[in-house]
Amino acid sequence: MASEVVVETRNLSKVYRDFWGRQKVRALKALDLEIRQGEIFGLLGPNGSGKTTTIKLLLGLLFPTSGQALVFGRDATDVKKNERLGYLPEESYLYRFLNAEETLDFYGRLFDMPAAVRKKRTNELIDLVGLNWAKRRQLKEYSKGMARRIGLAQALINDPELILLDEPTSGLDPIGTREMKDLILRLKSQGKTVLMSSHLLADVQDVCDRIAILHQGELKELGRVDTLLKVRGETEIRAAGLSELAQSEIRSVIERHNGTVMSMDNPTTTLEELFLAIVRDSEARPGRRAKQDS
Amino acid sequence: MVLDSDPVVFINWLRPALFFFLQAAAVLGLVALVGGFLLAAFRYGPALGGDATYRMLKTALSDLVSLSPRRIGALARLAVQESLRRRVLVGFGVFLLILLFAGWFLDTKSYDPATLYLSFVLTATTYLVLLMALFLSAFSLPADIKNKTIYTIVTKPVRPGEIVLGRILGFSLIGTVLLAVMGLFSYFFVVRVLNHTHEVDIASLKSTPGDTEGGRSGRTTLAQNHRHQVTLDADGNGSTDIAQGHWHEVDKHVEGDKTTYVLGPPQDLLTARVPAYGKLRFKDRAGRGVDKGINVGNEWKYRSFVEGGTLATAIWTFEDITPERYPEGLPVEMTIRVFRSYKGEIEQGIRGVIVLKNPTNGRTSELKTFTAKDFSTDHMKIGRKLSDKDGNPIDLFDQLAPSGELELWLQCIDENQYFGVAQADVYLRARNASFGMNFVKSYLGIWVQMLLVTSFGVMFSTFLSGAVAMMATLASLVLGFFTKFVFEVAQGTVQGGGPLESFIRIVKQQNVTLQMEPGLSTDVVKGADAVFMFFMQSVTSLLPDFRQFSTVDYVAHGFDIPADVVGVQFISGLGYMAAVFAIGYLFLRTREVAR
Repeated sequence: MASEVVVETRNLSKVYRDFWGRQKVRALKALDLEIRQGEIFGLLGPNGSGKTTTIKLLLGLLFPTSGQALVFGRDATDVKKNERLGYLPEESYLYRFLNAEETLDFYGRLFDMPAAVRKKRTNELIDLVGLNWAKRRQLKEYSKGMARRIGLAQALINDPELILLDEPTSGLDPIGTREMKDLILRLKSQGKTVLMSSHLLADVQDVCDRIAILHQGELKELGRVDTLLKVRGETEIRAAGLSELAQSEIRSVIERHNGTVMSMDNPTTTLEELFLAIVRDSEARPGRRAKQDS
Repeated sequence: MVLDSDPVVFINWLRPALFFFLQAAAVLGLVALVGGFLLAAFRYGPALGGDATYRMLKTALSDLVSLSPRRIGALARLAVQESLRRRVLVGFGVFLLILLFAGWFLDTKSYDPATLYLSFVLTATTYLVLLMALFLSAFSLPADIKNKTIYTIVTKPVRPGEIVLGRILGFSLIGTVLLAVMGLFSYFFVVRVLNHTHEVDIASLKSTPGDTEGGRSGRTTLAQNHRHQVTLDADGNGSTDIAQGHWHEVDKHVEGDKTTYVLGPPQDLLTARVPAYGKLRFKDRAGRGVDKGINVGNEWKYRSFVEGGTLATAIWTFEDITPERYPEGLPVEMTIRVFRSYKGEIEQGIRGVIVLKNPTNGRTSELKTFTAKDFSTDHMKIGRKLSDKDGNPIDLFDQLAPSGELELWLQCIDENQYFGVAQADVYLRARNASFGMNFVKSYLGIWVQMLLVTSFGVMFSTFLSGAVAMMATLASLVLGFFTKFVFEVAQGTVQGGGPLESFIRIVKQQNVTLQMEPGLSTDVVKGADAVFMFFMQSVTSLLPDFRQFSTVDYVAHGFDIPADVVGVQFISGLGYMAAVFAIGYLFLRTREVAR
């Protein structure tokens, strides 16, 4: 796929220092990433692995210690990039004394949108996230799930090309989670690029095209989800119409018994197993880095 | 009111002020640039550091031109909503409460209740509004950073400058509305409290001694702890004398066979006198022209003194003396300082004399004597028809000021006593301006102070936490109010030395006039004080002198606030706000908000 690179990090590192400039922690070590237009990219990793730091660096909320973070080809600290992106923070950091309409109107103004456009977008987004019934209530009265929805709505107010979602499904009930995932896929179908971080591996597995797994600030795995989850050296056969007897000689006798081979492939593991294996491996052999692929 | 400096002239002030502003801006800009480069070079190396500094400069310029009114408006609106949520109206409630109970602690028997009440409402408003501005501005941005709500702002195309400006505007708007409402309440409070009338005590009316036309005099009833003497003409109309800074007109009303005297509302109680100042020069005891009078000690700084019983004279030259401007003669008002080299009759003032003189031909009016008491203002009405020193009649305008220029010579008669004078101490009361407008002008001064405190609060909050930002703003405010004192301490003109020396004197209970014992420890203490005071003086010289924004004295003492003063307040306020905005922008631009 030769589509446009939307997000790029080159040797991106972040060291947190204390007031006196002494190093406290290396949060991110020489991260190289490329995220292309139209894909859903997942950042995975245990707590403290550098996921949120990466997102903050891409948003310009933090400045890199070394390396570069580029969004739409611009330096991440350039505010102009923000015109084309939307960001849903880990928790909905919104003004609790505003109601849903005021919130979206406020963020619309920050994009310098005229009143008519703001009104239209506000109504559309409130419909989209299903908060029409509570649009006049102050956000302090919202449940966590509702706050999450209005948070998503504000991230989409400018119809962004790139959406950064930090733990998008946290705090949502199963139905809300499903809706969020559907929405992410819908955004992809509209040609938008999504970068999400999550702990909830099943969610990532369901929606992401590619993932990066971070551990202790290092990139441990990077690639397409379907490729990564393929277990090499093993074969999985799914067959139908076989008798009890025939099942014992599967590979050699299927055709002889006029059975139909439905699929013959490598079996896949779950993302959860892959993730745990990587974390265990990383702890056993620190310093091993992922190779770039796509 | 006693001015402690010459009246400010806007045009004369503007040039050096502008020069100082540009100079300070250039120095601070250079310091920021070099400091920023050194910091970046230390972190990323010289090449990358230079690049970062260049990019920063470029971004700052592009940010400045791409400021969006809509975004600033949205952020300002948010600041207003936040202020209301933080119960800013409680401040207004406190103000109302203070007004309600003001009567408990304000002395209504005061010699000049208008001054007392006006100073009170203006000072109370100033403190309340400044405190409110301080709390609102210093805590807002740190709270946003702490709650991380700032994340959703800075990830939109919002420039740091817009965040700073939006907040300043929002809090200023709240402050403006509060100030306007407080002003309105204050105005009606003062007018209502001071408005009063009396009745003429009929039984006290007696024929005026020496008046052959049937005039009568008497006194009024007691109201608001004072009464007036009444002088009526033969028709029963007249006026009262001045008591507690005001007088009343008296009208006679006849209904059938019943006669009543009605007193009008208090006159000159709430007024805004417009003084016309003259140019001042001196003559010494031998009658030779000098720049200044005698130095009698600590008073030297602004006032200088003329010696009694000698040829020493203070001469004011007034311009534009025309009958059109002063149709009822010259209303001269004098606030003369008195310095006694011997006590004398302390209850009696020191005698002085004034003479009016034509500056072209030297023709003079006859001597007019008066007695001056320290801290009191003498009012003198000089009519059009005068006599010269030989007793011949002369006309004030035609003979003494034909070109519009007139000299007023002032001498002290009592030997070995002194009159202290300065330019603003003797003036002509040219006209009365509207008290209401003067009140508004005074509130404009408070308004500029509120804007400054808000701007400083927001600026400090871009890089300090809420409580520390508040303390820093408060410190700026305090230093701003005591600029003169800090300068005097730094220059060593205040007895008792710098902070360390003063502390040692307090601990050792040593009098400030005593010399410290010479030796190494004294040198160390004085050296440390000198270094500290140099730093303090540098900081203070960059801070606004908050006293220049206070015009409480003008209004309280019934003087019109000159347009020059308002102009100076506005322009210097604007200058400081621009500088503070730039500093706030820089700090927020270079700050990692997610840390």
